[in-house]
Amino acid sequence: MRPYIIFRYVGIVLLFNAAFLLVSAAISFHCHQPDFLPLLYSAVITILFGIFPLIYVPPSSYIYNIEGLVIVVSSWLLSCLVGVLPYILYGGEFTLANAWFESVSGFTTTGSSILNNIEALPFGLLFWRASTHWIGGIGIIVFVLAVLPAIGQASMLLSRSEISPLAMKNFQYRTQKTLKILLIVYLSLTFLETILLVACGMGLFDAVTHSFATIATGGFSTRNTSIAYFDNPAIELVIIVFMILSGIHFGLLYSAASGKIRYLWKSSIVRFYIGAMVVGTALVAICIHGNIYEKWSYAIRYAAFQIVSLGTSTGFSTTDTARWPAFAVLIMIYFTLQCACSGSTSGGIKVERILIFWKSIQTRIKKLKHPKAVVTLKMDNAFFPEDVVTTSLLFIILYLGVVFLSTLLLTGMGVDILSAFSGSAACMGNVGPGFGTLSSLANYGQLPVAGKVVLTVVMLLGRLEIFGLILFLSVRSWK
Amino acid sequence: MKLRMKILSGFLILVIMLAVAGIFSIYELMSISSSVQSLLDDNYKSIDAAKKMIEAIERQDSGLLLSISGEYREGEQMTGKADRAFLSALDTAKNNCTIPNERDIVEDIDRKYGAYKAIWKDFSSGTPANYDMDWYFGHGHPAFLAVKAAAGELMALNDATMYQTASDLKNRMHRIIMPGIVAIVSALVFAFLFNYFIHRYFVNPIISITTEVQKILKTGKPFSVEIETNDELKDLASAIQDLSFQVRK
Repeated sequence: MRPYIIFRYVGIVLLFNAAFLLVSAAISFHCHQPDFLPLLYSAVITILFGIFPLIYVPPSSYIYNIEGLVIVVSSWLLSCLVGVLPYILYGGEFTLANAWFESVSGFTTTGSSILNNIEALPFGLLFWRASTHWIGGIGIIVFVLAVLPAIGQASMLLSRSEISPLAMKNFQYRTQKTLKILLIVYLSLTFLETILLVACGMGLFDAVTHSFATIATGGFSTRNTSIAYFDNPAIELVIIVFMILSGIHFGLLYSAASGKIRYLWKSSIVRFYIGAMVVGTALVAICIHGNIYEKWSYAIRYAAFQIVSLGTSTGFSTTDTARWPAFAVLIMIYFTLQCACSGSTSGGIKVERILIFWKSIQTRIKKLKHPKAVVTLKMDNAFFPEDVVTTSLLFIILYLGVVFLSTLLLTGMGVDILSAFSGSAACMGNVGPGFGTLSSLANYGQLPVAGKVVLTVVMLLGRLEIFGLILFLSVRSWK
Repeated sequence: MKLRMKILSGFLILVIMLAVAGIFSIYELMSISSSVQSLLDDNYKSIDAAKKMIEAIERQDSGLLLSISGEYREGEQMTGKADRAFLSALDTAKNNCTIPNERDIVEDIDRKYGAYKAIWKDFSSGTPANYDMDWYFGHGHPAFLAVKAAAGELMALNDATMYQTASDLKNRMHRIIMPGIVAIVSALVFAFLFNYFIHRYFVNPIISITTEVQKILKTGKPFSVEIETNDELKDLASAIQDLSFQVRK
């Protein structure tokens, strides 16, 4: 492994972060707000650290597998560290632990916040907060590859670490093309949503920051009451549509935009993803109608938004779900665990793995009925080899294991069981809001410092799909 | 990039880190000093004026009670003195309206005080017969309480602003200290990074070149050292290679 190559590539990622810090500082300067100096100083430090390796290390045309992984994980961790700077320099509600939590939550596109009063933050910091989602959403590594002349094998190895391996199995794009597609889709969706939100009556600043958070499936809002603040069905509808779109594999979205819309509906993954959300919305609407909302229109409106928000790992909210019945809460916890499709910015177990799980049960039953039959797992005319199935099932077990361990640690710190479990699941799935004291309109500020640190580790594990972080930590034992 | 520039860039980055942190801290310190000044000038003056108004109006109320109870001369003296003190404090407050809504409150005090004074202005030639305790509790006391409440409102507004300014000062103190801490930590991390690059791109090639030159002297093998960077070290290696080639010839 060549550490100097890693320094160079991570430096480029830092420069990308610095560009957003400078934009945030410019916004702050324009509004004459007190976060200008913290943002500017953070940008200066980030630029200096980013530019230094570029002075010394010459470009390399190839990157080894191990280096690819270390670049991805280091970029993520260092971006989280850079993200801390403007927060701790600004002060206010940001202690070191709070700043770290907010930064990790931003870059992993989780959207959990420690802030009691988001609206008290100056515009520059609000923009930086939303930018952390946007940068993290597409994956820092994509930016690394988009701005680097490095091509071929290097790009492939890096993107393998970044994007869910299942998504890579489904789509045999060349890596360069994949990156271009991801960027085109990502930028187009952000731009389109911003225009639609402005057209629905949202201010430009709110529209841009909420678009950043939606497309990255993040969930940071500029308002204390999230989307509930706007109380506008048109805005909610636009956000619902873009949350659903952001949960679909970007390659499929690109195909659909290129006129091959049938690909979307042909995909059993997309059908399951949409179908599950329709069924979930119907069940929750039936459950909360009469109990919480008198009118069906309100029950369906709020149920649809919350289910889509959790089912895509975004985490926006239009109402306080803390008052909702246990049945509705359980359905939403299912969506917190499942989340959306691979190849999107969503977190969680992902629809593909859930489908593989169900289909492997079906194949197992068939095998029991006909012990001599050759039964293979098939999805969308593609056969899944045994090792893919085993890895998927192992991932689900590990995923739930991490959630359980985190719940155990949080309850040990005095957090109630519902808050501890739902908070752990929400952080692991990069969803954001949990239930109990961590419900949709509450925040994570009340948790003990150790609890916040545990949840940031869980967020990183979730974002790097567990194996990524484990491999990074065991990098010395690689051969 | 040449060696000189590479080394310079390392030190330059360290200097920029520390200098920018210093400039930011000095800027925040200067803004703290102006905040403290405004805290004293704006808020403290108004709070003091409000206190004096409350004291004066209380003395006027006592004077009014003395007059009603028959001690006309003592009452007149007391109210006259308190009136001057009240107007002086009101004047200070009028000239020190620095907070939003403060001018409205001061104008309200002025209006209410005018109404209060109007009800006992005919005392100048002695206490009229119909001015008794019933009159006092019906007219004099409510007017006195209204002026006192308005002055209290002025004091509360300035107290709240003073608290806010003090909280801002705490935040500003944080913003003075933090760039220093960040600069120190960054400089430490940067020093390790700089050291790594110096070692890898300067020291290692020099060691390789030296070893190879010694090998030439001992064994006469051809000189071959790969230098990745395009700087003076590459030129040196290439010059030694040429030299060894010439010597071998």
